[in-house]
Amino acid sequence: MATATEIGIAVLVLIGIIVSASTLVLTLDLAARVQRIEETVAPPPLTVIGPWSGAEMEAFLPVLETFTEETDIEVKYRIYRAEDLSPLLPAQFAARTTPGDVIFMWAWFISEMGPDGHALDVTDLIDEADFTTGALDPVKVDDTIYGGSYTGKVKPGFWYRKSFFNAHGLTPPTTWAEFTALLDEIADIDGIVNPIVSGDAVGWPLSDVTEHFIATYGGPQMHRGLTDGAVAWNSSQVRAVFEDRLVPLLEAGHFSEPTEWTAAVDLWWAGDYGLYFMGSWITGMVDDPTDLGVFSLPGATGLVFAADYFFIPAYTQHPDEAKQLFQFLAGADGQEVQVGEGGHIATNLDVSLDAYPAVDKGVAEILVGKEVLLDLDDTIGGDFQEEFWTQLKLLWVRPGDLDSVLAALDAKAP
Amino acid sequence: MTRRKKITSLKNFPLFFSPAIILIVFFVAYPVLQTVYVSFFSPTEEFVGLGNYFDVLSRKEILNVEGFPKWPPLGALIHNLLWILIHLPLSMFSGLVLAVILRDVKGASIVKSAIFLGMVTPLIVGGIILRFTFERGVGIVNAFFNVLGVEQLARTWTAYPETALFALIFGSVWLWTGFSMIIYSAGLATIPKEYYEAAKIDGATPFRTFFRITFPLLKPMTITVVTMTILWELKIFDIVFVATRGGPGWASTVLAYQMWLYAFRDLNFNNAAAVATFLTFLTLFVTIGMIRYMVRR
Repeated sequence: MATATEIGIAVLVLIGIIVSASTLVLTLDLAARVQRIEETVAPPPLTVIGPWSGAEMEAFLPVLETFTEETDIEVKYRIYRAEDLSPLLPAQFAARTTPGDVIFMWAWFISEMGPDGHALDVTDLIDEADFTTGALDPVKVDDTIYGGSYTGKVKPGFWYRKSFFNAHGLTPPTTWAEFTALLDEIADIDGIVNPIVSGDAVGWPLSDVTEHFIATYGGPQMHRGLTDGAVAWNSSQVRAVFEDRLVPLLEAGHFSEPTEWTAAVDLWWAGDYGLYFMGSWITGMVDDPTDLGVFSLPGATGLVFAADYFFIPAYTQHPDEAKQLFQFLAGADGQEVQVGEGGHIATNLDVSLDAYPAVDKGVAEILVGKEVLLDLDDTIGGDFQEEFWTQLKLLWVRPGDLDSVLAALDAKAP
Repeated sequence: MTRRKKITSLKNFPLFFSPAIILIVFFVAYPVLQTVYVSFFSPTEEFVGLGNYFDVLSRKEILNVEGFPKWPPLGALIHNLLWILIHLPLSMFSGLVLAVILRDVKGASIVKSAIFLGMVTPLIVGGIILRFTFERGVGIVNAFFNVLGVEQLARTWTAYPETALFALIFGSVWLWTGFSMIIYSAGLATIPKEYYEAAKIDGATPFRTFFRITFPLLKPMTITVVTMTILWELKIFDIVFVATRGGPGWASTVLAYQMWLYAFRDLNFNNAAAVATFLTFLTLFVTIGMIRYMVRR
């Protein structure tokens, strides 16, 4: 038999549960009422999720501020890299909720989520003709567009310090023979560890270098074929690009071992290395951008342009306001503010060239006459991207493993 | 009626247990059962039985013993076993040695706190520190081998398949040593001083005293340390994620990381569920074995 004390404790516990539950219900109800009142007074604030932090975030915030000035819609910015969002969003979407109203994410992810009903159909919100050719293809599934293309970055080739080249009497190469001779010359300079520093993050800097070799010596068609699965990784043509161009340079020690990519910027700038393959955002990462020079591999007819993509999750509580922001970010007005901050190239064709800082105009000039290609691994995404990254890291230190690397890539390719 | 009898005779036990049981059912039991259930289906929701298990276990990133014995990549399963084989004795014995050395030292608590910092450091942070520790040019390990003139080891360990896994294993010993040190320190405090006094009178050497008195009496602590360490090693993820992402060429991948890849990169939740279930059974196997051993003793 339970004693009176025990029954008393049980009753107290029950009362506690009831009081807690009632308080919770009342609080939630009150919060909902406050939110409703706020919404009648001012438009609801939107949440934008993007990957930029630090200086890159400082360059993005003016875009959101301009939108707020024009529409009176407040926008909160939250930082999440795509790698961090990928485990978060599927679970949120399964629960029919979303952490943001507009989210910057990989294009392949958007095109996976869209047909499943997790991303809003935005076909009527933007006109493909306003964008660079094929810019919206990665977020389009059967003529339905699920995302927008924002500004992007070019991956033009090898960056060097003009002062370093002048001091050692070096000149940018115009042929493959000149390129290899340049690497030999740099290798002979005192204090040089390797002619080219290989940046390493999750694997993407190496993938950018490889894509540049493919686009140059296999041609834009091979690059596109590998992206859409029409060309096999272990085909003789692809193998030739690796065997004849990239692997000999790796075996000769012209590339450094993979080095953390931000640390690599400092080492290269300090003169430990002569060249660094990086995207156009490097102009915002060095002390003196006017000392920067860049050249593509001799004979390049296509360059990779990596746009940032964004979408509206189907579970946003503010679809109308989110659509306004979507149109602003995809439009010339929003992108003009962004490119003005430096380091970005617009995908919207209506953005005036006058909006670019001088250093980015130089980057834009490299693109003239070149075919613009989508970033191969960002477009395919999924487990291929991880395979691509990890196999290239392996190739960089074991160039002799080319056969197994190409076989592994072929097994995961689309 | 004794107090013990009164407690066991309580009829309203379920009432007191119910909040915890409800939470466990919803937040532990249901997800676990759902994961096991999902592992038997294909992404198109067809029942495939053990198909997903055979699929993942036949993949090179999980099990790659072709040409064995060889350097990594050997597959996530073997890598996890290597973690246990190398990391367990290293962290356990360093913790034990530190606990014994610091037992009678004045101000030892400050040193112990410093060592225990590794235990409270988030593994993500630990992984980043670890990566730079082995990076050429900035890493202390590389600087050490440079001084010794061992060029082969003065390079970026995480960049090479031969050394990436070992960099993670050796580099994470400091993160876990604090745990075994604290457990052994607590155990040492329970050993009566008279045993040591008697050993001293009998002329036992410190070495003999350690192996005949200290180590045997620390057996319950050793079982706890071994069990907890193996569980930690089986579910290791964060360090791999930030330091190497399982590379190069999957040379440092582990089961938990592969599970994450299947779920959130391949968006194949069924294969991920198969790996998760497999990992759970491995963990249960170890835990049950250890508990049975403890009960027998």
